[in-house]
Amino acid sequence: MSTEAVVQSTPARKVVIAGVMGALAIFLGWTHLGFIPWVAGAALTIMHVPVIIGAVLEGPIVGTAIGLIFGLFSLLQATLAPTGPVDVWFQNPVISVLPRLFIGVVAWLGYKALRKVNEPLALAVAGILGTLTNTVLVLGTIGLFGHLPWAALPPIAIANGLPEAVLAAILTVAVVVAWKRIETGARKSRM
Amino acid sequence: MSASEFDLLRTVTLGQYLPTGSALHRADPRVKIASGILLVVAVTATSSLAGLTLAFALVIAGFAVARIPIAYALSGIKPMLPFLALLGIFQAIAIPQNDANTTVYWRWAFITLTARDAVAVALLFAKFSVLVWGISLLSFTTSTTALTHGTEHLLRPLQRIGLPAHEFALMVNIALRFVPLLAQETERLMKAQASRGADFGAGRRLNFVQRFRKLLPLLIPLILATLQRAEDLILAMEARCYTGGKGRTHLVRFRAQASDYAILALVLIVLAATVAAGFTSADATVWRIVSTVWR
Repeated sequence: MSTEAVVQSTPARKVVIAGVMGALAIFLGWTHLGFIPWVAGAALTIMHVPVIIGAVLEGPIVGTAIGLIFGLFSLLQATLAPTGPVDVWFQNPVISVLPRLFIGVVAWLGYKALRKVNEPLALAVAGILGTLTNTVLVLGTIGLFGHLPWAALPPIAIANGLPEAVLAAILTVAVVVAWKRIETGARKSRM
Repeated sequence: MSASEFDLLRTVTLGQYLPTGSALHRADPRVKIASGILLVVAVTATSSLAGLTLAFALVIAGFAVARIPIAYALSGIKPMLPFLALLGIFQAIAIPQNDANTTVYWRWAFITLTARDAVAVALLFAKFSVLVWGISLLSFTTSTTALTHGTEHLLRPLQRIGLPAHEFALMVNIALRFVPLLAQETERLMKAQASRGADFGAGRRLNFVQRFRKLLPLLIPLILATLQRAEDLILAMEARCYTGGKGRTHLVRFRAQASDYAILALVLIVLAATVAAGFTSADATVWRIVSTVWR
């Protein structure tokens, strides 16, 4: 039975999915489970994946709401428990909160555009677009405030953004396909 | 693999609630939240050590009234100390504060430590401590339920212009409630996967593909189980006819007492002094008095 045909989006559903996915973003950041060590002390993050999943499941408003929780948490964490000099930049809400509001909207637009063509493909695209929105806007605002020279930004965007986009795409496809029980032709997901 | 590897939230003191039943615990959460926000704004805005000392005294007084041992709050700040020290050194070395009017304490190669550097580092530490202790005090004395209700009431004016204050407050409350549940779930999953031979220890540093593949059997069931719990909660809420914030009344109604107004007034006065001290020569005056007494 397809769950999607039965489930209608109610106020309760929107609030709960937003809260729960927000909790997941907080949890991934708090326990550092959402960080994967990468070159030169930098870390790849998958903290934004709950935003993408929430946006794909419940639409752009829920996506923006989860993005807001993610942003507020990263602002709080940078202020109260900084772990590196970069965190000092994230004490500015324009860098830590504002860019995160757009992840969900962009991911949802990508998903909606391609959903009719091929749902797993649309999910992968949502993961990639959502991640790139995060990378580009965060680095862009960092550049605007002059914390890093503009020339230094594209290499960081490529070194961090691309692997993060791939990880986010894999996770989004794996989770949503299993959750919605989408037939992929591959073996059935086991929970 | 040690047992502590499964223990995910034990070391965090921030965000805990310590019910000691003090007057501060019973105070109106709206007043406490507003005070917290004012504290953050004032501490960020000021650049005066004397002003920060005032704010610090206010926070310490709050701890005394709340009957929470200072040592407990201190333990929360401990893991951040090495990083803070690093930040302090960075601030002293990388940001030159040299001008003709300052005393040079120490000079080596391109590094000069001046009185101004010392003040900058002291400011950094003071701001950080006041912020962390102030916000800890808020969370120690206010339960999550009171925090959400308080936030919702404070945001209510925004509802007039169509912003969903109720939904926002409920969402934040659900998020905060779910974090410990997620920690439990993850511990369960880690143990389950470890018993099947999974290894969550550190792999080779650069091999992020390997690291990520180790995380997948944890993350995917975690997210799916979380969504399942969300479905249960949705069902429970809909069974009780939840339809969102419109026309909703509240079981808890806040009525500010005289003591609440007194707290707010005290906080306002002290923090106004904190900010004002940044614009006057308060620091220089205090410094002169201190150094005279010292001699």
